[in-house]
Amino acid sequence: MRIPLRSREPGSASLIDLWPAPLPPTRGSRLSRWIPDEPGEEAALLEALGISSVDELFSDVPKKARIGRMGVGPGHDEAEVVREVDRLLERNRPLSRFATFLGGRVVPRYVPAAVDAMLSRSEFYTAYTPYQAEASQGMLRALFEFQSLWVELTGLDVANASLYDGATAAGEALLFCRRVHEGHRFLVPASLPWEEKSVLRNYASGPNLRVEEIPYDPRSGRLDLDFVRAAVQAHDVFGVLADVPNGFGHLDEGILDLKSTLGDVPLVVSADPLALSVLEPPGNYGADVVVGEGQGFGVAPSFGGPLLGLFACRREHLRSAPGRIVGATLDADGQRAYALTLVTREQHIRRSRATSNICTNESLMALAFVVYASVVGPRGLAQLQTSLAEKARTLASALGGIEGLQAPRFDAPYLGEFTIEVGRGTAEAFLDRLRRRRILGGHRLADPRPGAPKEPERILVAATDSVGDREIQKYARAAKAAVEAAGRNA
Amino acid sequence: MTFRQARWEEPSIWDLAPPRARETPPPVAGVPERFRRKEAVRWPELSELEVVRHYTRLSQMNFGIDTSSYPLGSCTMKYNPKVSEMLARRNGAAGMHPYQPEATAQGALEILWRLERILTKVTGLPEVSLQAAAGAHGEYAALLMVRAYFRDRGESETRTEVLLPDTAHGTNPASAAMAGYSTREIASVGGCVNVTALREAISGKTACFMLTNPNTAGLFESEILEIAEAVHEAGAMLYYDGANLNAILGVTNPGRMGFDVAHLNLHKTFATPHGGGGPGAGVLAAGEKLAPYLPIPRIAKSGRKFRLDYDRPKSIGKIKTAYGNFGLDLRAYAFAITHGEDGLKHVARRSVLNSNYVGSRLGKFLPRPFRPLVKHEFVLSGAPLKDRGVRTLDLAKRLLDEGVHAPTVYFPSLVEESLMVELPETESKRELDQYIAAFERAISDTPENLHAAPRSLSVRRVDEVRAAREPLLSWKDLRAAGKAETP
Repeated sequence: MRIPLRSREPGSASLIDLWPAPLPPTRGSRLSRWIPDEPGEEAALLEALGISSVDELFSDVPKKARIGRMGVGPGHDEAEVVREVDRLLERNRPLSRFATFLGGRVVPRYVPAAVDAMLSRSEFYTAYTPYQAEASQGMLRALFEFQSLWVELTGLDVANASLYDGATAAGEALLFCRRVHEGHRFLVPASLPWEEKSVLRNYASGPNLRVEEIPYDPRSGRLDLDFVRAAVQAHDVFGVLADVPNGFGHLDEGILDLKSTLGDVPLVVSADPLALSVLEPPGNYGADVVVGEGQGFGVAPSFGGPLLGLFACRREHLRSAPGRIVGATLDADGQRAYALTLVTREQHIRRSRATSNICTNESLMALAFVVYASVVGPRGLAQLQTSLAEKARTLASALGGIEGLQAPRFDAPYLGEFTIEVGRGTAEAFLDRLRRRRILGGHRLADPRPGAPKEPERILVAATDSVGDREIQKYARAAKAAVEAAGRNA
Repeated sequence: MTFRQARWEEPSIWDLAPPRARETPPPVAGVPERFRRKEAVRWPELSELEVVRHYTRLSQMNFGIDTSSYPLGSCTMKYNPKVSEMLARRNGAAGMHPYQPEATAQGALEILWRLERILTKVTGLPEVSLQAAAGAHGEYAALLMVRAYFRDRGESETRTEVLLPDTAHGTNPASAAMAGYSTREIASVGGCVNVTALREAISGKTACFMLTNPNTAGLFESEILEIAEAVHEAGAMLYYDGANLNAILGVTNPGRMGFDVAHLNLHKTFATPHGGGGPGAGVLAAGEKLAPYLPIPRIAKSGRKFRLDYDRPKSIGKIKTAYGNFGLDLRAYAFAITHGEDGLKHVARRSVLNSNYVGSRLGKFLPRPFRPLVKHEFVLSGAPLKDRGVRTLDLAKRLLDEGVHAPTVYFPSLVEESLMVELPETESKRELDQYIAAFERAISDTPENLHAAPRSLSVRRVDEVRAAREPLLSWKDLRAAGKAETP
């Protein structure tokens, strides 16, 4: 059916590569049902304006600035679009086709149908930012509940109504720390995922701040607290970030005492929300900011976006917080009502002196987060985290005896994820062999940029809610075979 | 039309089932005692039906495009096609992990690649990245790219300033400041850039001039080619804020106008839903000078295979986890191939026609401070209302009682008591006429009724001053203030 179309611009990608074939002429001539085209409608609008052609409305665009054609293909009707997109999606092999052990910040976790049903309420998803409070009480109340939940999970005082994702939330936390504390150095674990380090370096680059890595103990992966102590004593550190679990999937007990080392230097904890259903709230051990990635609560992985950035801080720093915040107030009748508040922190009021440039956030994902937690309930969340932790232990013991594989690589407690290290061959070859057995065995931790320093062949492995004993044993058999095959090739 | 919004006396979710005495969660094997949560998370245990009813009732106390026309200026609140919602939820899309091997994600990579190619044609700029999560995120990344470019040329010490017109969106100066630049606003004349003032302000210190065209006054900056020339003569970069691209699709494009780098908002022009404030999807499009600095990874095609290309030594690196808001990119792709060349051009033509039609009608009620020929939106001044003791805010609230959303108000700030109205191409003449009639009823109402508005919504006028003066920002705050139903 694909009729080649000639590209109109020499040297550009051929249109056949990106555009489905044109409509058969029988499909009708309407440009699209999405633009009203009742006969006579456009003529009536033109007549009311006293003009004869829409072209006249573009007389303010200078001729030299005009273009001929864009060079995109012809339009299609809905059935054809669905066929085309489905044809493309069939080239994907989604998670459901594999035994899945992928994790990290984006988690493949079952989303109860009720959550998506609430997200599909078009009063929510087709709304804009609730600037007109009276017309938007539904979304404002849902966001107020979302903020309240993140406050309960973190043990802090104030949460905002979301940021883009966990990595950018960490970036905003870095800038936040600089607003509340002097200094030029921001410390992060060397074990932090490389993507997050890169995002943090970008956030630090504007005000010329430095992101420095805290080394870890090679046996346990725990932060080198002596390094932190020495850095803080040098008086130029304006913030320290630690993650729970850390980038290797492990829990570092040292973090519980970190604040005593930092004194008044702000502590940012980047925490997994599910882990917080069973772990001590970071506010209780001195965290000044808690950020996190909230996608795992009710949002499909969707090839990495949209995600959900979580942010909470202490009350005394409220006016330094980035992003929108919903507050409770009263209406003219003295009844409880909600509104966006403390807007003088924000870009549309404060412009270049705003605490952040963020405008559009991830409100709908914040709704997913609170609906998910409410459907599953606090007991359900703790049970889910417990069951993932049990699966991870089963997996670790199944992998533990395999020669040429260190699993787990680090001797430290963990919940649902841990890091393994491939001793023979590369992590990539190991994962590739697993994939051929329909196992997504985790993801490589190394920075993939060609110039990046050489790193050990490490893989973050996650016990997901879709795997059981059978998949775990299958993983162990495939892993053993993969390491043996790598040994034979060596 | 008589309008009544649902008014549920719906408690907060924690008041539906006040949490009982909180137990310690059961121990998790291997987790050190000190790390364990001592008290379960304080959140209610509800049945699924209770949760569904709660949020369904909340949803009924919210305006959306599907319930009301939504003429927010600069927000491009057009119809969000249902087919895009359906497609984004397919297992082959929603059920994909960003760290899957490339070989298992060829369809997803191809959709991103195709959308990028389409957007190069729409913007007239040769390279595109979809990594930005929103417009402001794209602005910020673009300015980091500008900074990196000047650093490589040894000019980062001298080029320390970003210029923008006083009509700029608030995100522009905020993004520039975050990227480490000082900002200076150029006063407009008649709602457009004063090119003479720009030429005087621009210098070897200027890194970038940020502009949206058509601008927030709804006007096309007809002197755009002279502006581009002035900026480039000074060795600076010209930045395109694509928030208002809808009005010029297929007529002109940032590349042709002389812009070096641009962001677009797929959640405006390409009809992806705003989600009550987000998610959005930002696009970064760059000309040849700045393209090497785009975030990694880029989507590359080798033969018939698609892959993630990290080999871009000049790239600024990552600006978020993974590759952008794929779920929204997919929706935007469906939008683009539905419309095609002629359809996208028709989008611009009809949105401009709608805006000029409604502008000419509403101009009978309130003054229009700028020239009447507008693009996607127009601005009114509510200043004359003050003679009746009424403010733009009152008019906005009274419009809500008509079952239509209010315009953007008090922006752009160079117009006293401003209202900014945008009714995109998806609104029929019937809807426009209903909106005009609603506006007439609202503005003709008595000052008492305007002050008392709204009356038909789930709440009356909300006291935003109190919200800021006594911040109650969570259930925890309500408990602490003794204002929670459930202590």
